[in-house]
Amino acid sequence: MSRRRIAVIECPEEIPCNPCETACPQDAIKVGQPITHRPHLDAQRCMGCGLCVAACPGLAIFMVDIKDNDQAEVTFPYEFLPLPEPGDTVTAVNREGISLGTAQVKARWQPKGADGTYLVTIALPAALAAEARGIRRPSCDN
Amino acid sequence: MTTDDDIIICRCEEVTKGEILRAIKAGATTPQAVKRFTRAGMGLCQGRTCRRLIAQIIAQETGQSIADIVPSTYRPPTRPLTVASLRRDNREVDR
Amino acid sequence: MAQRSLKGIAVVGGGPAGLMAALTAARHGAAVVLVDENAEPGGQLRKQIHKFFGSKAHRAGVRGYRIAQELISDCTAAGVELLGQSVVFSLRECTLDLLQKDDAFNLKADAIILATGASENALAFPGCTLPGVMGAGAAQTFVNLHRVLPGRRVLMVGGGNVGLIVAYQLLQAGAEVVGVVEALPYLSGYQVHAAKIKRAGVPIWTSHTVLEARGDQEVQEVTIAAIDDHFHPLPGSERTLAVDTVCLAVGLTPLAELAWQAGCRFCYQGALGGYVPLHSDNMETTLPHVYVAGDIAGVEEASTALEEGAIAGLAAAAAIGCPVPIAEFDAAQERLVSLRKGPFGDIRQLVKSEIVKRWADCRVVE
Repeated sequence: MSRRRIAVIECPEEIPCNPCETACPQDAIKVGQPITHRPHLDAQRCMGCGLCVAACPGLAIFMVDIKDNDQAEVTFPYEFLPLPEPGDTVTAVNREGISLGTAQVKARWQPKGADGTYLVTIALPAALAAEARGIRRPSCDN
Repeated sequence: MTTDDDIIICRCEEVTKGEILRAIKAGATTPQAVKRFTRAGMGLCQGRTCRRLIAQIIAQETGQSIADIVPSTYRPPTRPLTVASLRRDNREVDR
Repeated sequence: MAQRSLKGIAVVGGGPAGLMAALTAARHGAAVVLVDENAEPGGQLRKQIHKFFGSKAHRAGVRGYRIAQELISDCTAAGVELLGQSVVFSLRECTLDLLQKDDAFNLKADAIILATGASENALAFPGCTLPGVMGAGAAQTFVNLHRVLPGRRVLMVGGGNVGLIVAYQLLQAGAEVVGVVEALPYLSGYQVHAAKIKRAGVPIWTSHTVLEARGDQEVQEVTIAAIDDHFHPLPGSERTLAVDTVCLAVGLTPLAELAWQAGCRFCYQGALGGYVPLHSDNMETTLPHVYVAGDIAGVEEASTALEEGAIAGLAAAAAIGCPVPIAEFDAAQERLVSLRKGPFGDIRQLVKSEIVKRWADCRVVE
């Protein structure tokens, strides 16, 4: 796996949608015509900017960055309040919402075009990078 | 506990599933006939909530396809309005 | 009743299809009156806080409520006259009877575009009339328009896009969604929508149904059960969940009363929600100068409603004598067709073609 941050697109169905393609400043994502084609990522060109993560209406794009020290960073779109703050310890979850253990929030930002959606980056063991796709929401009863 | 027959299908006119089933058994096998028989669909909402449920019950009871259940006649007014509002005649606008 | 005659087009319904139809017709020189029953036009767009699919030409990536804001200000700029809080209660030929607040009057236009949308389907089960049982669209209106939580613990019934999206938006609003129940063995909504709520820890039960809601004055608990291939509950599979809200997202039916009254010909298309008025690919019904667009013409999505609205607007404008370049029709058709591709769109394209064919058959016979 590449030793830098790149997009991971989890868009399994042929739905009419291509904002990822138009958002990418590197032309790294190809949907083509018709727009129901599934996106294809050219990993060599991806700079890990996150513009596609923020643009995807399906919240189906993530970013993974495997570090050298068995650590990894996973970035995902996040649209719940309260927002996690950098430095927070959070519970990372997999695609089914099941806990993978704790993770550290490294960053939280809004790229151009996010229109309210945040990108959150968490650090966790590299072995979990392919599984972690979000964090547990803080309980709503507070 | 409420039984299936007690479920209210038409809320506006408070018509239960049991009443609709009895109407169908008595020969009211179209939405139009069920409406005349039970008043289902004749209330404030003019059947917007119940008409599809009634069509489903008729289809189930008579073995017809839902596609063959012809809706009852749609008449004005499609939305509730007061008689007073119809009587007003206070403007003549032309363009 | 007072009379008004309009040398132009009356559009009924200010959702995505109606707004787009009004805007498009006005931009081509037609005088347009847009009638909408709500305090503000926008229809379902106003509560669609999510970003739209599609391409740039379809405003993909833009949140629905922003599309409504844009269209409303564009309509105003193009000279569309908006009749708000106005309810159309009958249609005969090209004459509408309408009620604006307490005033009833009739409006005769040269062409009519019906963009009345769809209504939510109900589900009959013991307890379905208890307070707390509501349409998913109603819950969405609560949270996204009025900023009120309809409840704290919600069961969503229906795994189509409406159920999945509203479940997510209820989570965003701070409610707990205890689960999504779907009668089919699979979800009919997009997997990406399902993935959002799964990540948030919401269980999804396919091949399940709601058996009964119980409560003293309002919903306190609901019993669900697994079902077999014939939708019969499997004994022993019942489970009871403590909830205060049950949302029904079990499909939509085209809201076509006015088209029925006017005498349009219909056909039944289950894939599009039920009976739909026959229409041409220019959205004309079997009645001259009466057009349909959006969910009334078959339940699809806001993005397709926008494009059908554009086509109906062009066609109605052309029909009353406004110059409309043929290339604009082609471009709008192309945008529409591009949304009806893939496993979700193919069936709708097929059914729409069938409707157009039947419309043409009607025209030959008459």
